[in-house]
Formats: sequence, structure tokens, C-alpha cells
Amino acid sequence: MKSTQYSEKVLDHFKNPRNVGTLEGEDVSVGRVGNPVCGDLMEFYVKVKNDRIEDIKFKTFGCGSAIATASMITELARGKTLEEALQITRQDVAKELDGLPPIKMHCSNLAADALKDAIKKYQERQKPQPGKEDVQKDRREIAGTEKFMNKGLYRQITDLNEFTDRRTMVMDTGERSMKTAHELTRYTPRVIFATKNKQLPTGDPGDKLKSSAVKILYESEILEIKGLNTVEKVVVHDLNEDEEYELFVDSIIILP
Amino acid sequence: MSIYLDYQSSKPVDPRVIDTMTPYFYDKFGNPSSLHSVGDTATEVLERSREKIARYIGAIPEEIIFTSGATESNNQALIGYALRNKNKGNHVIISEIEHISIHNIAKYLERNGFVVSKIPVNQFGRVSLEKLAERVDEKTILVSVGYASNEIGTIQPIAEIGKFCREKDVVFHSDIVAAEGLLPVNVETDNIDLLSMSSNDIYGPKGLGIMYVRKGIRVNPLIIGGGQERGLRSGTENVPAIAGMAKAVEIMEQDMTEETRRFSEYRDRLIKGVLERVPRCYLNGHPQERLPNNVHLRFDGIEGESLLLSFKEKDISVSTGSACSSKTLEPSHTLIALGLLHEEAHGSLEITFGRYNKEGDVDTILGVLPDIVKRLRKLSPLYKEEMK
Repeated sequence: MKSTQYSEKVLDHFKNPRNVGTLEGEDVSVGRVGNPVCGDLMEFYVKVKNDRIEDIKFKTFGCGSAIATASMITELARGKTLEEALQITRQDVAKELDGLPPIKMHCSNLAADALKDAIKKYQERQKPQPGKEDVQKDRREIAGTEKFMNKGLYRQITDLNEFTDRRTMVMDTGERSMKTAHELTRYTPRVIFATKNKQLPTGDPGDKLKSSAVKILYESEILEIKGLNTVEKVVVHDLNEDEEYELFVDSIIILP
Repeated sequence: MSIYLDYQSSKPVDPRVIDTMTPYFYDKFGNPSSLHSVGDTATEVLERSREKIARYIGAIPEEIIFTSGATESNNQALIGYALRNKNKGNHVIISEIEHISIHNIAKYLERNGFVVSKIPVNQFGRVSLEKLAERVDEKTILVSVGYASNEIGTIQPIAEIGKFCREKDVVFHSDIVAAEGLLPVNVETDNIDLLSMSSNDIYGPKGLGIMYVRKGIRVNPLIIGGGQERGLRSGTENVPAIAGMAKAVEIMEQDMTEETRRFSEYRDRLIKGVLERVPRCYLNGHPQERLPNNVHLRFDGIEGESLLLSFKEKDISVSTGSACSSKTLEPSHTLIALGLLHEEAHGSLEITFGRYNKEGDVDTILGVLPDIVKRLRKLSPLYKEEMK
């Protein structure tokens, strides 16, 4: 079966997805699963009244079956009690859609998991909250730092022209690093700004960076630099998902 | 009316080619190995076709081996050469953005005692000679770099790579499938030693290809049998398809210049039009060193399979590098090699023009694409974040 061989029902939900959007308010809980880095992202917004799902909306970055399963699950969950909604399985969704190609079954997981996440978060909020500890993450030494110093890895910059048309990653070391990343867009179409934080501070230069062509990697750190003689790729650690992946770059700038 | 914009995946057989093939199924059905006159007729067309195809790529007839297609040619060239010459060394170099068949053949070689290095490409998908030079050592016997990328359309500096390999006494293989019929290929001026070409990619029948082997270079056969094709590729020759491929070459010789001029006009107008109409949209691949028929774009915040399905609804056939549309659910290795994140590789759209496209097709795409992108972005949690 081809991965895009979908039933009429799947195609209908893809073309006319039900309940797309977001919800706001104190009784709204947001569930979020998946990881755009590996491909899919699913968000569910659940509004709860008297232990029942009164309203439900979703947004997704995913393939046709991700859109269709999310749409179907919003229809299945609406009006159900939280306990009933938690019982909805991916098989239920697939069945309602007249089946999914086997290779796409994981997409229906995504929708079911996002719904569960939203409900769990709502239920947790009802319980008394234990004080959250602030976990300070260790600043790890990047493997390969010594080997690649001045061979694609730079601690200081003398001439931005050297980065012309090079894929350049700038590590977040504060305001100056943001300014540098922004300036680099005049020299190369590919600038990546990697920060361990969830967002950039509001105001200049963070806002400028966000609206520029710079690709920002939030909650990310570099674990290792790789290459034969010069920098060729980096191993990035996605702190949010606790996943590692490789990214091809030509230069890395870590300002003091 | 349906519009086909995926010529990279498959091409229709030109009706003139079909007419040329037809007599060889019934009237002239002979086996070239037979010594009677029915066999002689087959031999004659086989050798005439071989000559025509050889001339097309600047080779001599003895250097052309007919195969079942470019995948077989790639297998035959890489595995055949590596096995025959393993006493010279065990190191093979390919680029990061080779066709999947080359990548998987390289894995096979690794499992069989060879060491494979991959040359990284720059952000436009070009192989750098410097990175190649860094990887060549005394054990290197073979370098394989495709003439152009079948996905992003970037054209490689083939003649320079070939020249460098010759200086280093390393054999150079090039898979020309993505470029054939779109760029002039010449094994002499391009310094190519081994080459793979398919028949369908010049509007000939599927199930046929050639391997070019420069005179003096030795390869082991992979398909053993009655010793056809100088013992390098046994099995009765597919005479109708071979006659068809020769006709396809003949048409190409006449029409290529005019055809590619037409395609590059479509290409440039489409790229410009989409970039103007759609925000946060980018061109993948090289802005200039690019196949005349290739448009490869990516859109922030949306996923390629949804794009493809949306076009399908409008009876338009396009392609994507998205993981969700692949057999393995992995994103395209070519897009990753450009330095893109998985999320970016997901949002790509590949359009390849061909012989039967018309000027109006460009207008049709420009008419529907912005709305499709807008609709899918409305569904996307990623785009919302970026707009803030």
C-alpha cells in the first residue's frame, strides 16, 4: 500500500478539517506532542466544563493523515468526559477513518497522544502543585573544540566577509552573538542561531533576529563538532525532546 | 485538465519512439545471437543503435553496455569495478547527495570490505573539489558523483572532478540520469570513465539503460550467462527497447537546445513568481548552476505531503522531499546534506518540467499555489510561532 493511498474519509477530513484553531481561557488546557525537528507537531486545545470536554481545537504540522486523524479525534472527543476521552485509542481513530496505510499509523498516535497530554495537564492543574525545582543544566564541553579551532570554529571574528555563502551557526552567548547572527545575513543566506533558552528576550536585538532570515534553534545545545579536517557538521542536542541529530554547517561562531 | 509536473520521476515514451519500437516485437523479433537472417536483422539494429547512443555521449560503440536501467548500470559500474580492482585499493568516494541507488550500493560495498567516504556539499548542493581532494588517499580506487542532483537540480563541476580524478589515477563514475536530455554530456570533455544512463529519462521506454565503460577499464560482470555484451551483461538483448532508446537519442539531438530553452523560461518565471507571491518561501539548490527544468522550493511551517495532496485535489502531479511521502519516513538525504533541519526538509515542493508542458502550466501553478500554502499554514502550529 502506498503511503498516500488514503480512504475517502481521510481525504474528506484532510480537505475539510473540523475544529482547526486555538482556544484561550482559564479552563483551557493545551497538549503538545511531537517534534518539528523530526517532522511532526500536534497541538490540542481542550476546554473543560463539569469534567466534560466542552470545546476542542487543534493545529498540526504534519502529513495528510496527521491532519485527518487530528480532525477525527476532535469529533470523537467533543462532549465526552475526561475519563472517556482518555480511552480513545489510535485504533478507534483509524477505524472511524476507514483505515490508514500501515506506515501512517504512527500519525494517529500523535493525535491521540496530544489529546491525552492536554487532558493530563488539565487534571494535574486541579491537584495541588508541588514546588518545581529549577534544574540548572551543566554547561558541557563541546567535543571537537580543540581540533576545529580556527578551522571552521571561531571564538572571535575579524572579517565577516570570510563567512560569505557559508552555512554559519552562531551560539547564543548574549546580545553580541545575536547582533553578529543578524549581521551575517548580509553575507550568507544561511545563518543558524542556537540557544538553550525557550525564547529570546523581548526587545532589540532578539526581536530583530526573530523577524530576520536567521533560523533560530530554541532549547538546543551543541554536543560535538564533526568533519575531516575542517568543520562539516555538528551534533545538536534538542533539550526539549532530549534528542540528538546532525546538522551540516561550514562554520561555528562561539563568542566569549 | 490534469497537469503533470514530475518529469524527474517518470516520463512518457515519445510516440515517435513507440513507432520505431513496434516492428521489433513481431515482424523483426530476432535474437541478435542467432546466426540466421532473422537474427542478423536484430544484430543490425542492435549495433546501429549502440553506435548512435555512443556518439550521443562522445563514446565509441565498444564502450556501451546495454542494461535494464540506470540502477543496474550503477550496480554494475560501482560493484563491478570495485570487485575487479580491489587489489589496487579498497576506498570508494561518493557525494552526500547521490541518488539513493548509489548510497545503497555504497552500503553494500561497506558490508563487503570496502571503505566509503562521502563528500559534503555546500548550501547550494555543489561538491567542492577541495573536500574531494581531502578524501582521496593511496587506497582510493573510485569516485562517483552524479552529473546533477535528481532532487534539487544542482549541476556538479563534473569536468573538473573528472580531471582531478585522472590526475590522481582514480577512476571516475557519473550517474547522468538527472541531466541527460537537459545538458550536453560528453565523456571526453567531462573526463568520465564510467557512466550510467537510462532510456526513460530521454523519453525512451523503461527497463533499459546503458553503462559506459572507458576502453581499458576492467569491471567484473554481475549478471552471468550466455556472454552477451562482451560478457559484461548476459541475457538476450532487449532489441525493441534498444531501438527505441536510439530513436529517443535521435530526437534529443534535434530538439534538446530548443526544449531546454523553453524549460528554463518556465523555470525562471515560476521561481520568480512563487517567491514574489508567497512569503517565507525559499529556493533549494543552486540559483544558477541548476537543471533547466528543475524548481525546488520550501515553505516555512508546512509539510510536503499535505502540499502534494492539495495539488492532487486539483489534478496536478508534483513531488516532495518530505519524509511522510517516502517509504522509510526519513526526510530526503539530499535536503539534509544542504544543511536543512528535518522540519525544513519536510516543507519542500519539487516541480520538474518536461516535453509536454505548456506555458500555461506555469500560470496554473502560480494561480493555485499561494492559496494552498495559505490554507496549510492556517493549520500549522509552527507558522503561528514564526509570525509572532
